[in-house]
Amino acid sequence: MAKAPKLVSNPQIVTANDLASGDVVYLTKVNSWTRAIEQAAIAPSLEHSAALLAEAEAQARRNIVVAPYAVPVTLETGNPLPVQFRERIRAAGPTAGIGAGPGE
Amino acid sequence: MYAYDDFDTQLVAERVAQFRGQVARRISGELSEDEFKPLRLQNGLYLQLHAYMLRVAIPYGTVSSTQMRQLGVIARRFDRGWGHFTTRQNIQFNWIKLEQAPDALAVLAEVGLHANQTSGNCIRNTTSDQFAGVAADEIEDPRVWCEIIRQWSTFHPEFAFLPRKFKIAVTGSPNDRAAVRVHDIGLRMVKNAQDEVGFEVIVGGGMGRTPIIGKTLRKFLPKQHLLSYLEAALRVYNRYGRRDNIYKARIKILVQELGIEAYRREVEEEWAAIKDGDLRLPAEAIAQIAAHFAPPHYPERPTRPAAFLEALRGNIDFARWHARNVAKHKQPGYAIVTISLKSEGQPPGDATAEQMDAVADLAERFSLGEIRVTHEQNLVLPHVAVADLPEVWRGLAAHGLASANIGLISDIIACPGLDYCALANARSIPLAQSIALRFNNWQRAERIGELKIKISGCINACGHHHVGHIGILGVDKAGQEFYQLTLGGSASDDAALGDLLGPSLDTEATVDAVDTLVETYLSLRQPEERFLDTYRRVGLAPFKEKVYAAH
Repeated sequence: MAKAPKLVSNPQIVTANDLASGDVVYLTKVNSWTRAIEQAAIAPSLEHSAALLAEAEAQARRNIVVAPYAVPVTLETGNPLPVQFRERIRAAGPTAGIGAGPGE
Repeated sequence: MYAYDDFDTQLVAERVAQFRGQVARRISGELSEDEFKPLRLQNGLYLQLHAYMLRVAIPYGTVSSTQMRQLGVIARRFDRGWGHFTTRQNIQFNWIKLEQAPDALAVLAEVGLHANQTSGNCIRNTTSDQFAGVAADEIEDPRVWCEIIRQWSTFHPEFAFLPRKFKIAVTGSPNDRAAVRVHDIGLRMVKNAQDEVGFEVIVGGGMGRTPIIGKTLRKFLPKQHLLSYLEAALRVYNRYGRRDNIYKARIKILVQELGIEAYRREVEEEWAAIKDGDLRLPAEAIAQIAAHFAPPHYPERPTRPAAFLEALRGNIDFARWHARNVAKHKQPGYAIVTISLKSEGQPPGDATAEQMDAVADLAERFSLGEIRVTHEQNLVLPHVAVADLPEVWRGLAAHGLASANIGLISDIIACPGLDYCALANARSIPLAQSIALRFNNWQRAERIGELKIKISGCINACGHHHVGHIGILGVDKAGQEFYQLTLGGSASDDAALGDLLGPSLDTEATVDAVDTLVETYLSLRQPEERFLDTYRRVGLAPFKEKVYAAH
């Protein structure tokens, strides 16, 4: 990936992949993981996302998820919508072909 | 076809058992992700944008109908009902669960398939000509040598941790369908002045961020020395190849920095010490492998059967398909059928489990049970009797597999791109679909003739954009998908890297630009010229002028 703008002032959510299934998951307010991005816990900015990320990394060390990282979002539609194109595709599934959409 | 012996079967079975233990230890937490990642990669399991992806090897692109059916089983039982054939003649499944990966590998092992050498810094799955053994223009069947390389390279302890991955391709025909000049090592079977068959060894080709056309390392290598010479070439690379910078770690960079003469001296010196050792291939050993690839028994069939001629005359769709997708077989009365996986609206290279079953059934009934995978992401039925062509065509059409577009503008190579790949900057599949849609008028496509478009979603160039007649590279421009176009590349015996057309364009402008390039070519071409020929004659300027005039 080209260097993405940091988008530090955007709200942030935290994503990872479920270790056993590989599914894209998001960290919730109660520190569980959900496949539904609208249920993700939201930090108001990158600075405030440190606690969420620390929790996610702790869960990665406990082998629940792999490769957690923060994703900048907008809340204009009420639900978190990733700012970056890549993260939108990751959230919504492939955009074309047999596998388009979120799948099962 | 090569059939696994007890040794091969045991090797694959042990590997599955070993990986099963590794996955269990990862899930229980005994192994960290850092410890586990290299192990899963050695078994072809990547973590991609959405999920784990399993890349299954199809050694030199040859697969039996039984194996193809089993790929359909994997698609249904462990994935979402389809798979993606890649530019390295492999197949990828996009939604494999880690906890099920060992079971999937066990199901593959039942039919002699595996994911060995599909990832990691080892000698990767050797690729070849999809028409190997049946092409009318062939010197010898290159798969004999691909199999010999497979047996030598699989789990080769000295080459398990090379500076970077290492890809070998072999062609037995002077008409290169295996892109040997853009591989780490490309082998061309050639005849010397004494009419003996051996290899021209080409080294240091590759694509990615530093595209280079390979250079001839040795003009003629006698067959019995193939493995010792490869061992020497790899040993020199393993010793001097860079490990400090992933972007400078491929052999092409070493050859470029040392110079071909210095690299050759090192290889020859190393080779002199080992050429008459254990790796010298005895004639009996070569014959034993070659026997697996002996031409099958072809029952005598008519060369111009009446029903076939009638179909050619009476059915325009069949006639078009025959003209585009059927190639000359070395056996009279037989033909080679290329099955397009580029039907309009489908991602290049994708096939559903039902389509895999349909191809397996047709191969069993009409192609001696054999199928090939092409690096251009299509399939091949290599042994079809001319008399059976109408029925094969009907069978393919019933499953959306009869697109008559081989070599035409819609026969696009495209990597999975940002729809699936964690490395991509931009999507490839929707762009391929848009271009195919723009050129869906078959009369126009036929008028344009041979035109190879190749699309990569990032600089790693899995979509071979550098060697496309029109190459398209996805880039990220301030968070937006843009595409750079290159013209004049070729992966064939006239291998060349494309020239950059100009500033990148957005998706819609890219489709328009392809249209403009095509119209410019049509206005400039001389009789019999392909797009590539016209480009080579007139150069970049007229194309550039037309595309950017509107912008």
